[in-house]
Amino acid sequence: MTSLKVHLDALRAADDLLTVDERVHWDEEGAIVATEALRHNCEAIHFGSTSGEVDFASGVYAGPDQISSRHHRPWRRIAASIGLGRECEYADLLDVLSDREMRPIEDAVFVDPAATVEDDVDLYSLGLPTVADEGRQLLTLGLVAVERDGTTSWAPVRGYVHRSSRLRISVPRRFVDWCDGERPASVVLGVPGASLLAALQGWTQDGGLIKVPQRACGLDDIPLSRVGDRVVPASAEVRVDGTIRPVDESFEGSSAIWERGCETATAVFDADSLALREDPVVPFTPLGAPLTDDIHLTSLVEAAALFRRVNRYWGVSPVSWIQLPVEGRLGLCLVSSEILYSGFDWQLANALFSFSEFFDKVLVLDEYAEPTDLARALDDMWVKAHPGNDWIFSDPNAPAASAPMYRRDGETGSRLYISATWDPRWDEDYIAPRVTFESSFPENIRESALDRWNDLGFDEEIR
Amino acid sequence: MTVDSFREYLQKLEAEDQLTRIEEPVSWNLEASAITMLANEHDDKIPLFESNETESAQLAGDPYRGSQRRPWDRIALGMGMPPDVSRREFYEMTIDRLQDPRDPESVSASDAPCKEVVNTDDVDLLDYPWPYIHSGDGGRYSNLHTLVAPDPDSDWVDWSYHRTMIHDSETASVLLLAGEQTPNLYYYKYERRDEPMPVAIVVGAEPAVQFSSVMWIPTGRSEVEFAGGLKGSPIELVPCETNDLMVPATAEMVIEGEIVPNARRDEGPFGDYFGYMHGPRRSMPALEVTAITHQKRPIVPFCVEGTGVGYTENSTSSMEIGCVGPDATLGLRAGGFDIDLCVPWQSTPRTVYVISTNSTSPGYLHELANFIFTTWGMLHVDFFVFVDADVDPLDQRAVLESLALHADPDEDFHQFGVETMPKVPLNIYQTPSEKGNVQTGTSKAKTAKAYIDATRGEDEAPDPTVEDVDTRYWAQTLLTDAGANADHLQFIDPGETGR
Repeated sequence: MTSLKVHLDALRAADDLLTVDERVHWDEEGAIVATEALRHNCEAIHFGSTSGEVDFASGVYAGPDQISSRHHRPWRRIAASIGLGRECEYADLLDVLSDREMRPIEDAVFVDPAATVEDDVDLYSLGLPTVADEGRQLLTLGLVAVERDGTTSWAPVRGYVHRSSRLRISVPRRFVDWCDGERPASVVLGVPGASLLAALQGWTQDGGLIKVPQRACGLDDIPLSRVGDRVVPASAEVRVDGTIRPVDESFEGSSAIWERGCETATAVFDADSLALREDPVVPFTPLGAPLTDDIHLTSLVEAAALFRRVNRYWGVSPVSWIQLPVEGRLGLCLVSSEILYSGFDWQLANALFSFSEFFDKVLVLDEYAEPTDLARALDDMWVKAHPGNDWIFSDPNAPAASAPMYRRDGETGSRLYISATWDPRWDEDYIAPRVTFESSFPENIRESALDRWNDLGFDEEIR
Repeated sequence: MTVDSFREYLQKLEAEDQLTRIEEPVSWNLEASAITMLANEHDDKIPLFESNETESAQLAGDPYRGSQRRPWDRIALGMGMPPDVSRREFYEMTIDRLQDPRDPESVSASDAPCKEVVNTDDVDLLDYPWPYIHSGDGGRYSNLHTLVAPDPDSDWVDWSYHRTMIHDSETASVLLLAGEQTPNLYYYKYERRDEPMPVAIVVGAEPAVQFSSVMWIPTGRSEVEFAGGLKGSPIELVPCETNDLMVPATAEMVIEGEIVPNARRDEGPFGDYFGYMHGPRRSMPALEVTAITHQKRPIVPFCVEGTGVGYTENSTSSMEIGCVGPDATLGLRAGGFDIDLCVPWQSTPRTVYVISTNSTSPGYLHELANFIFTTWGMLHVDFFVFVDADVDPLDQRAVLESLALHADPDEDFHQFGVETMPKVPLNIYQTPSEKGNVQTGTSKAKTAKAYIDATRGEDEAPDPTVEDVDTRYWAQTLLTDAGANADHLQFIDPGETGR
């Protein structure tokens, strides 16, 4: 069970959380500091002195960019947030996410909600951080919980405080359709990572699922609470209870990355009550900045969905891993796979294009590529793929991808896949071995170098 | 403060606790390179191997390898720059120095350390510990040196960087790939006239000489003057013993000889700069050695090629960032192009370059790419990526983001034909038959080269979260006060404040 507080404590214990004690205002200042921390691969940040009711946190589900160091694991904090530990391998995390294990609601642990209801409802008092030019307090890493016909579901939400007792929110359209009109609801902030991942899995993807709480409990054994007829994460730092009502209006402002992957709808949330934990902390993302939490969460959820689909698509499971590098803000997809036969790279890349709206560029790597070695994967893109023959452009009639900044008007265009794999027609002799410690030296030389290392005056611990 | 010799450079490394002297014997036969590869991968000290089978010379493993976070830092040290110079300051200081070339000075042989031992009679290359770098290499190599070769039709002398595979006591094969300056002199002048090309291989030259030899100095310009500019004082030269060439007096060793016409010796395979064992074995021009002069117990630097890809640096990859980048930036600016910086893709040396520019019209980028791809030395390069001037081309995260978000497959990937352009055979995407074994060392088959326009389109807004420098500095101050380690993070770069 990994509540946000437990997660923050674990980050702090791992020296992966910094606390900013200087007073930081919700109006832009928090976002500026958070952006700077994300851009420079800092630890997660807890803002301990703010001008509102809540502290904020940034980067608690984000991580350093992988391109700048072989030691960086962008998914580490997310893995820790669902109890898999900081050393969790990327492929193992993909397995867990793609497995979509559900835990029956009757097996879940129900407790009283940690947040207690305040006397007055004043959403402005929260002091939720905003970003430049917004001027409004933003909800960026929250959920909305709704019950219908005895089933509760949670959906990701992005929105802002519209009045002291009203939120305007953007949610997946399928969720709004499922709600089928106005319904009692709760908006929860500061929730466990498992619930954020489950909500993205539930409503932002094709073939998603309604039973998001069950999925969240399948990911991590999070305790639940009942509020009215609906189920909410018991450990939520902030809970706003009220009514959700879809409206036929457009929604302006910077969007979260998950909104690029699914159709969204606008809703109004009228608050009846506000509940807070003691010393509440609300994670947020400075929308529009690089390497934000929502990019990391969505990247993993999308990669897991694609991993699941392609490994069930042809009756075999040739794909070792899939990544939508957070550095590329989901505009690029990397896939490591056995190339089953000549032309399979084309099938694989184009299947991925069909299954995801985010990207229009796929880099196909051979099955030996490591998900922890982004620099080397990109190196293969430049040196292993023939610049004329292996950079393959489709005809210009493909739908526009949603992550890139171009063709936002929906105009069709080309897609690109790069096949950085060995040509199956090549003789074995043509295939160049990589220069590695293992391939470049016989065993006795390797052992000697490793054995002598500590006596030769070097500083670093050897592998 | 200038650095006058390779030895002095190593002493500076040692003074900075960046060098480890290894007194116990380490074999040139794979062992020295294995240890160096580990040091490269772990971003550790530079190894100086003081003892080996021959005892005639010492070995220095990848002495110019920069740190993975600051690949230019040892290049800066070699040029006597401040140790904490920022990347942008480094680029601009290097460019300033290249714009201030210095005439060389001549010294007598008695004042030249490289003449401490002079051998013109019983020359034997095998007296020295040329490293066998990767198992599978075609032989032992000298691969971190400066090749000095004259133009037979002018006073111009080219200083360049061509690996050399040792064959026996007096002969070696030299990797000469047509399209580059010295190879063109050999293939299209000397050999056509059936004349030998006099050469000197300068091993362990002072840093500024080594750095200038990897740069794209324009044909006809004096490279030794640019080396003097980089150093900030004249390079001291001394005449060779068996030809008319002038060589750096402080070099560790000078191999004099001639590359003879119409003679070839095997070269390769070799674990190459792009990170793969590259083959097949091919024929390359033959060097016949006429003299070897050197300091007492000379230090022979070498590079473990193939390690400078991905996250790891080596001498080649760091010199790409630290030498070729500033020089290419200057060259393009001098060519009249409005560019901010031209830098190699850090994890892929010599194959792809990133150019930041304010001038992003399609015609302009095409003209710029066309200019670059048709210059000499471009047979290694397959890609140029253009980004906006507010994107730091040394920040691979930012460049990857530009590629992903701004390069439209529909209109921003521009290939110059599919099978139209020349390519060196040092690649892994051509088959052996496509590479062929033609006399001039270029691939038999042509290839494609491309430029990628990863600049923002007219309707694409810049990143709204980029604040002004003062605001970012305030934010970073809060973070460092909270415990963020500024030493390990690329925080606000003082050199960027003038941007």
